[in-house]
Amino acid sequence: MSHDDHHGVMIPAPGPEFVAHEVAHHFSTPVQEFQAGKLGFWLFLATEILLFGGLFAAYFYFHEVFPETFRVGGQQLDWRLGALNTSVLLLSSWTMAMGVRSAQTSQKSKTMIYLVLTVLGALGFMVIKFIEYSAKNEHGLIVFSELFSGYDEVTGQVAWFKDYHGVMKDVAHGHMFFAIYLTMTAIHGLHVIIGAIAIIYVLYGTSKGRYHAGYYLPVDLAGLYWHLVDLIWIFLFPLLYLVP
Amino acid sequence: MSDHTSTGDGHAPGELDMGHHHVSSPAMFLSVLLALLFLTFITVVVAQFDFGSANMLIAMGIASIKASLVIAFFMHLKYDTAINKLVFMSSFLFLSLLFIFTLGDLFTRRLDHELHTTKSPVDLEWSHPSTLDGDH
Repeated sequence: MSHDDHHGVMIPAPGPEFVAHEVAHHFSTPVQEFQAGKLGFWLFLATEILLFGGLFAAYFYFHEVFPETFRVGGQQLDWRLGALNTSVLLLSSWTMAMGVRSAQTSQKSKTMIYLVLTVLGALGFMVIKFIEYSAKNEHGLIVFSELFSGYDEVTGQVAWFKDYHGVMKDVAHGHMFFAIYLTMTAIHGLHVIIGAIAIIYVLYGTSKGRYHAGYYLPVDLAGLYWHLVDLIWIFLFPLLYLVP
Repeated sequence: MSDHTSTGDGHAPGELDMGHHHVSSPAMFLSVLLALLFLTFITVVVAQFDFGSANMLIAMGIASIKASLVIAFFMHLKYDTAINKLVFMSSFLFLSLLFIFTLGDLFTRRLDHELHTTKSPVDLEWSHPSTLDGDH
């Protein structure tokens, strides 16, 4: 691999199934391009930590104020589904790490297999999440059709919290737990979907032979995003499903 | 490529030298995955016991270990440049500021009203019965 001081440094393709990468004209070296991309992405991930950090602060606050509400609320979630989803995400984080490694070592078909497995993990996670949300909808703990209806005039409660089976009737502000549960898992789920789209994008680029040992930055960044999704869930699982 | 930046700690056995790019071994990734799954199992087991307020500390302690493994190895921040480490880890510093002031508010409130609509101790219109000492 060689490069000089001219514009449009080329990183040659390591084999016939790959294409050469032209370093963007505003970077003078491939290393500069790589490090600039990484620094920007780490900065973005730092803001993601702060976004979820605000939600975690809300969790800890209300957990302290309504400990019984959180204890009983947590019992309404199926920890087995939560543990299953944790395992699915951890496995998909591993396939993603292996996918990035395969791109780093110019193994095109292996990269594609690992990326497809990661997307399947994302799909599996969302299917399980959908099953959970449906159950909450059925029990009236989160009535999705009433989510933006404000307060119920009769009960004086938020309209989306019906609690058909009265499981939360003995604790104060039963809806608080489910409000936090929905907000945190829905924003996390949104990240799962965005992560899956990013991985499908780099999967397409991999099929075109764009990513190899000389240039794999987009695969690396999609990987970092996916690991962040895993990172957040590592904290959400014990806090929501096994309320301490 | 002539650059050999950020391989400061050399490379462990089984890890390839890719110049500025760090490539980890599959065996290492597999060990991290197994450790993460094992710690998930421990999280579930520990939650079955009642250690009082220590449950929260234990659960968050295990989660922090898992998070460190993901950050260091899956996100290979351990092998990344100093500036990237600083940028990402500083988010946890700012997060701790948010937590410290939020919890500071929490621990200086009185949560004894039935609706938990509490008032600050400096509000003279409201006094908890046990604090009345006849001076007023």
